[in-house]
Amino acid sequence: MPDEVQLVMPADPEFLRLARVTAMGLASRLSFTIDEIDDLRIAIDELVFGLIGTKGRPGRVTMRYALLAEGLEVTGTGTFEDGLPTPGLTELSELILNAVTNEHALSPDGPTPSFRLLKRRGGA
Amino acid sequence: MAFDADRRQELREKFTEFAASRHPAARAELIEAHLGLAEYLARRFANRGEPLDDLVQVASTGLIKAVDRFEPERGLEFSTYATHTIVGELKRHFRDKGWAVRVPRRMQELHLRLSTLVSSLNQQLGRSPTVAEIATAAGVSEEEVLEALEAGQAYRFTSLDAPMPGEEAGSLATTLGDDDAQMTDVEHRVALSPLIQKLPARQQKILHLRFFEGLTQSEIASRLEISQMHVSRLLARSLAVLREAAEDE
Repeated sequence: MPDEVQLVMPADPEFLRLARVTAMGLASRLSFTIDEIDDLRIAIDELVFGLIGTKGRPGRVTMRYALLAEGLEVTGTGTFEDGLPTPGLTELSELILNAVTNEHALSPDGPTPSFRLLKRRGGA
Repeated sequence: MAFDADRRQELREKFTEFAASRHPAARAELIEAHLGLAEYLARRFANRGEPLDDLVQVASTGLIKAVDRFEPERGLEFSTYATHTIVGELKRHFRDKGWAVRVPRRMQELHLRLSTLVSSLNQQLGRSPTVAEIATAAGVSEEEVLEALEAGQAYRFTSLDAPMPGEEAGSLATTLGDDDAQMTDVEHRVALSPLIQKLPARQQKILHLRFFEGLTQSEIASRLEISQMHVSRLLARSLAVLREAAEDE
């Protein structure tokens, strides 16, 4: 069972900084380089915005950070009160995420839309 | 920002023409003719902790939206319509980004110091440094390094296309290389999509190098002769602009 950190935050872009800083702190513990940390930050932005849109929505996002031997796995699960469709990823977002993560996926459907990303430490 | 009667009439006709043709040259002319309005409104929001250049950029974005959306047949003066749109854009800028720009001076200074340090560590190590390595070299804690790195993102909307004070700048020649010929058709199609085309040339270049050529931020920094942290800020800025533009479309 890997070490795990959870963060529950309002589905508002103002709180995205907390999601990024948490990821950066954990990535630093895993000896990520700052290039890799910046990739992680970009990935979290893209995926969280894919859940909440750029203006946010009523509800919350639960972030889970798992410290794996190979790197950091981040999942985000939305619980929203607006009943609106989840924005999802644009073609450009997919391109960006392909460049900055080792694995990523976003499931916009269902009552709790979610995403997952895996960022491996260099060479891992 | 006042036109004489002849010029006003000329611009009205240009708007009618643009509404029918959507011709890029007409669009560019209309935008250019009203840049003074954008600057005038940006100045009204100055002295609130944001550099004027950035406010002018935000106001110009509002102006472009106004030109694109204006419907001359409704009989409204463009300046009235555009003022509403531009002020809305400026207010949204302050509302959405307000907290991001309030960074303690101590962190701003550390961010600047780290920018130079990261570049020299990159050279020494032959790779991007870890946070622990940066902290040791700077004589600060890892937490402070992380805080300073994140503080850099607060500059997303403050002078991002320019280097921060004390940072080195790459020349235009280094940023606009001639290797675009190596782009494939698919890359051209995506990279030159209308949204990306709206970005300054250097930001387009950095996006291309990072996401299409797969260079790391440090490699891009080296190629463009700017710091890794400057690349990081420009990327963050570009993505934020693209995201907002995509949502507005």
